[in-house]
Amino acid sequence: MFDIDWRGLVVPLAYLVVLGGTFVTFSTIYRKRKAVESANLAPWFGPHLQRNIYLSLLHLEPENGSEKTPKVPDSVLRAALLRRAVEDIRRIIQIRTAKAACSSLLQRGSVGDDLWQRFQRAEKEVEDELRDVVMEANALSPNWGQIIFQSANEIAANTALREQLDDITKQTEHEKEWWEKRRAAIKSEFLKELEDESEKPTQAKSVAGSEDSEPVLVDTNTPSATPGGKKKKGRK
Amino acid sequence: MGADYAYDEEGHLWPFFVFTLTLIITLPLTYMVVNRSRDPAASFKRIQTNFRHDHADLVDSLRKQEKRKDRKLWLIALVIAGWAFMGYLLYLINTTEVPSQKLWNPYDILNIPESATEKVIKSTFKKLSLKFHPDKIRPDASKNETMEDLNARYVEISKAYQALTDEEVRNNFIQYGNPDGKQGYSINIALPKAMVSDGNGKYIVLIYSMLFGVLLPYLVGSWWYGTLRRSKEGALMESANRLFRAYQDDIDEGGIISALSTGQEYEVLFHGDKADSGLSRIESRILADGESSPFAGGLSLKDKEKLEDLESGPQRKALALLWAYLGRVELDDPALNKAKLAVAPIAHALNKSFTAISLAYMNTAPLLASYYTNQLLIQAIPPKASPLLQLPYFTPAIVKAVEGDSRIHTSVQSFLDRPDAKRRSLVVKKGLLTEEQYREAINVAKQLPYLRVAKAYFKVTGERCIIPSSLVTLVVKGRFVPPGSENVPEVNETDLEDIDPAEDDLDAILGRKTKKQIGKDENGKPIMSSDESITPPLASAPYLARDHSPRWHVFLTDSKQGRVAVPPFTFAQFDRPIFKDDDKTPTFAMQTLKAQFQAPPQAGHYTFVMHVVCDSYVGFDTKMEVTLVVDEASKAAAMADEEEISEPDEDSIAGIMNAAKGGAPPSAKFSKKRKEEEDSDDESGTEEEEDDTSSTNTDTDEEN
Repeated sequence: MFDIDWRGLVVPLAYLVVLGGTFVTFSTIYRKRKAVESANLAPWFGPHLQRNIYLSLLHLEPENGSEKTPKVPDSVLRAALLRRAVEDIRRIIQIRTAKAACSSLLQRGSVGDDLWQRFQRAEKEVEDELRDVVMEANALSPNWGQIIFQSANEIAANTALREQLDDITKQTEHEKEWWEKRRAAIKSEFLKELEDESEKPTQAKSVAGSEDSEPVLVDTNTPSATPGGKKKKGRK
Repeated sequence: MGADYAYDEEGHLWPFFVFTLTLIITLPLTYMVVNRSRDPAASFKRIQTNFRHDHADLVDSLRKQEKRKDRKLWLIALVIAGWAFMGYLLYLINTTEVPSQKLWNPYDILNIPESATEKVIKSTFKKLSLKFHPDKIRPDASKNETMEDLNARYVEISKAYQALTDEEVRNNFIQYGNPDGKQGYSINIALPKAMVSDGNGKYIVLIYSMLFGVLLPYLVGSWWYGTLRRSKEGALMESANRLFRAYQDDIDEGGIISALSTGQEYEVLFHGDKADSGLSRIESRILADGESSPFAGGLSLKDKEKLEDLESGPQRKALALLWAYLGRVELDDPALNKAKLAVAPIAHALNKSFTAISLAYMNTAPLLASYYTNQLLIQAIPPKASPLLQLPYFTPAIVKAVEGDSRIHTSVQSFLDRPDAKRRSLVVKKGLLTEEQYREAINVAKQLPYLRVAKAYFKVTGERCIIPSSLVTLVVKGRFVPPGSENVPEVNETDLEDIDPAEDDLDAILGRKTKKQIGKDENGKPIMSSDESITPPLASAPYLARDHSPRWHVFLTDSKQGRVAVPPFTFAQFDRPIFKDDDKTPTFAMQTLKAQFQAPPQAGHYTFVMHVVCDSYVGFDTKMEVTLVVDEASKAAAMADEEEISEPDEDSIAGIMNAAKGGAPPSAKFSKKRKEEEDSDDESGTEEEEDDTSSTNTDTDEEN
């Protein structure tokens, strides 16, 4: 039989236990912290209002007193679903355009890791949402799921265009006002000039000449103030 | 004969070791401290002006505060400690006696001169052996001698005698310095003996485990989390994340200002009750009616809505202060005025991050907007305001006097191009500018470095045409023409050429820093660039509480898709002087900016819009169309063939390769390679002169 020196073995065993224990403690604490951090990450998108409206229409609670749940017309449900799809389209476009930029920025270290995590989560959520919408659409009327996003896309593009147009038309009032004012100013200036010219052409000229020559006396430092006024320009 | 190791018992070796170690650590640290303490801005030239606005003192104090923050006390303490320790070690080295090891010299032992003949040696030995033979003498008790000492002494004497007479022993002595032949040598470890002596072992182990178990992980960890905390552009990571979320494809300057206010840096700056103090006063001031804009802060209706949508807190205060800064709104409160000036440098730093983000999207509009925002932040001018506000003493009222009701702003250049009398009559009036102020404004304007682009073209170094996927160089030639400069010389045509480095000039080809040929003068002699690169004077930015050296960004965009085609190249240094020695008179020297990128993979004409954007001055940007002509590879090869003087010799590599490929059309790569080989074969190198300017097969637009 081997004669094992148990007391001598205690030291290396204790070393192993301490080492292993440290690793285990560290990794559990680290993982827990990471999990808490990622759970507390703010969502990429705000609350999905259109989806909430649709879902509340679908699951209307019976009103006080009455037993029966109120019947929501199909057309209203469909409209609500379409609105939801439009919002989803807006979100998926945003995600798609941001994806390449986000990953390249992450690689360069220009944005943080948690942004990428949030981004990926948002991407996954939007994909789930799209699938959900397709299923709902198919449930409302057969085969609608295949075309609902096409219509939603058109609606989204149209809305964006409309908003731009509205922005431009909003400025008209202001621009018009400005132009009227400006035209009046130009007109009065012209009239004044015409009057001046017709009344006392020679006098006006001499006045202008004296004004021109005056700075020559005052300012001898700036070379451009030489008589003749016009500077020689290189290329303009 | 083995080598035995010993610890440094006398303590004369370890000071050397520790001294070297300390020196290795202390010297770089000292360099860092010295380098830091020198003001980096002091080496730059400045635009000469006497202009000081009402809050110039506050700006100065903020600048000083920033410099103080840069200084690191612990570093200085460490350096001083290092030098002190090294001094102590030097003292130790000087005072410790080094045990001297005498060279074994037989003449000394026999006490004869080295010129002694054999006869003398023999007679001396005989005399000495008679005197010192152990059989002859008794140990002298008074001298504390023993029999062994006497023996040893006699052995030494006979050894010395043998060394001088016996052939073999003599050889040993000459070779190894000892009559017995090769001696064992000892290696001492330059650590004090105290370290290994019994009682101290545990302390040493403790120190080691502290070093490797605690200090090293701490340093690595703090470095790693430090890099995670800040983005590459130097903004806090959280701020960069928020900026990324705030990015929009159609963002304008006002939108970027709002986005920049989300920075986490502002939460640090306005923590606690600072977040709300004075907010209502700032807002009422910036939303008051402005001179030329709807609001005094220069913000648009959309920006106002954005500001009012915010919850009150650090972000709202930062945004309000930013608008107050841009509109140069007086807040009548020293603390608020100081905060107003303090928010701008932070926004300027954050904007770097936003530029990187907009560059990742590769859309032109946001990138340009972020560059423009940079200009606005440096000059303290609201978006869509007149560039004339950059000039000292210019206020919205004065700008209005210059521009009238016009919607198109007058740039500094066009204002300065007007005759002096006309300018003067517009602005020198009661309530506007005094004569002195006017002169100062013109003085500053005439020092602003406006880069006027003369020509921009594409070329491939050493080639005549641009083939698909080749490495194209965009060459931008331009001169610094400050606004309102008179007697600007005509552009010298020879300046516009870009000279390829000579083929034997390896340094230039590999881009090492040497004297470069940058042009030719009238007689065709090459002009060499000056040794050090020239930096333009620091941006004239009286309101920005930082020193900023202006940069120029050159990039190409696709105007149809609104995308960036070639990402920006940034230039902060130039190869020829901008101003003469008095730092005021412009030299009008032609500057060369070069940017390299990969040509498109298909042949054709590509029209780009080239932007040259200065990041410090408003209205100094250039935008022009350039066309990149990419030829088919076969056409390029045909051109190269025409240039050939003779068929390559059969025995040259080129000749063999030519024969091997038969009649097949040469591929681009192949023909290029061949051309290079032929060029190197050509020893005379006489046509280099003609080949040098391999530039202009592309359309260019002259400056307007």
